[in-house]
Amino acid sequence: MTGTASARDVIEQEAICLDERRWQDWLALFTEDCVYWVPAWKDDDTLTADPQTELSHIYYIDRAALEDRIIRVSSNLSPASTPLARTAHILGGIRQTGAPGPGRVTFRSSWSTHVFWPQSNLSHTFFGRYEHELVEDGESWLIARKVITLQNDYLPSMTDFYCL
Amino acid sequence: MDSIDISDAHRQRPAGSFRALIDDRPDDGVFRLHRDVYTDPALFDLEMRHIFERSWSFLGFTSQVSQPHDFFTTHIGRVPVLVSCGEDGSVGAFLNICRHKGAELCAVRQGKSKSHVCPYHGWIYDSSGRNIHIKDQDQGAYHPSFDQVDHGLVPLAAIGSYKGLIFGSLNADVPPLEDFLGDMRFFIDLAMEQGENGMEPIPGRTQYTYRGNWKFQLDNGLDSYHLTSTHLSFMRALDRRRVGEGNPHGNQTDFFKDSHCDTASFGFDHGHTVFTMDNTEPHRRPFWPYIDKLRDRVGDAKADWMSIKMFNSLVFPNMQLAHNTALILRVFRPIAVDLTEMTSYCLGAIGEPPGERGMRLRAFEDFYNAAGLATPDDSVVYERCQQGMATGAIGWLQGFSRGLGALETGQNDVTRPMGINPVESSMGTLQSGQEVVYHPPYREWARLMEAGEAAAPAYP
Ligand code: FES
Ligand SMILES: [Fe+2]
Repeated sequence: MTGTASARDVIEQEAICLDERRWQDWLALFTEDCVYWVPAWKDDDTLTADPQTELSHIYYIDRAALEDRIIRVSSNLSPASTPLARTAHILGGIRQTGAPGPGRVTFRSSWSTHVFWPQSNLSHTFFGRYEHELVEDGESWLIARKVITLQNDYLPSMTDFYCL
Repeated sequence: MDSIDISDAHRQRPAGSFRALIDDRPDDGVFRLHRDVYTDPALFDLEMRHIFERSWSFLGFTSQVSQPHDFFTTHIGRVPVLVSCGEDGSVGAFLNICRHKGAELCAVRQGKSKSHVCPYHGWIYDSSGRNIHIKDQDQGAYHPSFDQVDHGLVPLAAIGSYKGLIFGSLNADVPPLEDFLGDMRFFIDLAMEQGENGMEPIPGRTQYTYRGNWKFQLDNGLDSYHLTSTHLSFMRALDRRRVGEGNPHGNQTDFFKDSHCDTASFGFDHGHTVFTMDNTEPHRRPFWPYIDKLRDRVGDAKADWMSIKMFNSLVFPNMQLAHNTALILRVFRPIAVDLTEMTSYCLGAIGEPPGERGMRLRAFEDFYNAAGLATPDDSVVYERCQQGMATGAIGWLQGFSRGLGALETGQNDVTRPMGINPVESSMGTLQSGQEVVYHPPYREWARLMEAGEAAAPAYP
């Protein structure tokens, strides 16, 4: 099925959009009612599982919420985002998980993001796992759900969506 | 015009005089801090000894150790601490340090365990801190004198709790916890009495560091002046939300709408201080649907304050409660003169329904989280302050003067119905950006530092 190959491609496109700061292109990869979720760690070995009763680093159920993030980093009004960090997202181990439903497919992957902050000349590497659930949208695929497991959750001072 | 000041005031001051770093002349309307307070490593060591190791520190929540063998680990200043509920249900707090050769005993943040085994030579302690096993003791050829010493964990010199918050001290010479907190208790009550069964930290850690002195968080957690500059990008997001764009679930109060509202700052004994502001959107509070029930339980004064006010506060030296649509308790742990570890807790009412908790969580994540829309902008300005001051070219800072022309002492119409008696207050609007709110902690800072240097009691 050529479809899943192009679904997989969306995952790579997403990372590239973030590194190239093509925010609108990045946004366009998500469905309007997408879930974007970065659960927090509950204890040393367990992630939080329920965003209604437990803390997340980020939990959105609406693409419009991602717009807020973009507005902030491109506003020139956010001290943590001016000048903006430079990033490189590295993806590996992209594997389809579970059986694809009609027009729906899920991938897992491992990621790391190297971040350099020009204002402090410091670098940091964030890393973890992604789960992407994609839905067919005509010729292409959109991200309906993205879950980011952040393995190193002892955070530096300027953690933002483009670091993940 | 001022000239470059590369002098080191701390080297010039007479030994033990910390007043030389705080130019506090109320009669002249002057309050200035010298930047050494934030940058001098020698002062940092003295702060650990004279402040953190001699006064009360927030440790954690009673809800974390409510059952036998529940435990959590934390720090008082530099010192690792283990808080544990024993078999008998009584909560103890101990140095988290093995008596054998000083290894940090428990490396787990929280959990439940009947015993704690040291990873080095296998000594074992029970949940009440008693030593219950010395590996191969009978073959150790110990001298009888070894049996004369206690091998249990060293208990803290004082432990106490108030409304679900546990405090501890390495120094027995501290006032009773309730006296230490004084009228700050009114504000702690506003936070901790929101739930009829008390409050708890919602599971999930948010912990981060910034490369700056711990007192930048002390200051900024009370700073109403920076809101409309540091957080302009957040204001931009709020502008959009007002017209139905952006995150529909952020649940924030509209700061612009509130910018003409009344504000007040209150300073208390022992360095505690509060900034408060009226809030035009009480319906964003998760408990608003049953405010009447709350009113019956906590009384009118507190119910009003919980619903139509917000506040930021400091329990000296390093714990802050901020009450808005979310309720945050944060602790800033000094690691080095220019490195601080932040731990933030989103508080929720014990047993509250998921919908209410969800409102708290979304508001907390939106603004206060380390990956939120506001906190990184705060952290980075602390780092900029550290960079600016570390050059040593600036001596005296001018950021402690707003509100000095509006200071009141004694009770007034606002504080009387609350039944509190601040040392001083200042009333204004959000644009007033009161900086007098910082005076009580720095006066207490100087007092404790001087007492420490003089080897005098911290709380005579
Ligand atoms: S240091 Fe703990 S048993 Fe030796
Ligand atoms: Fe702030």
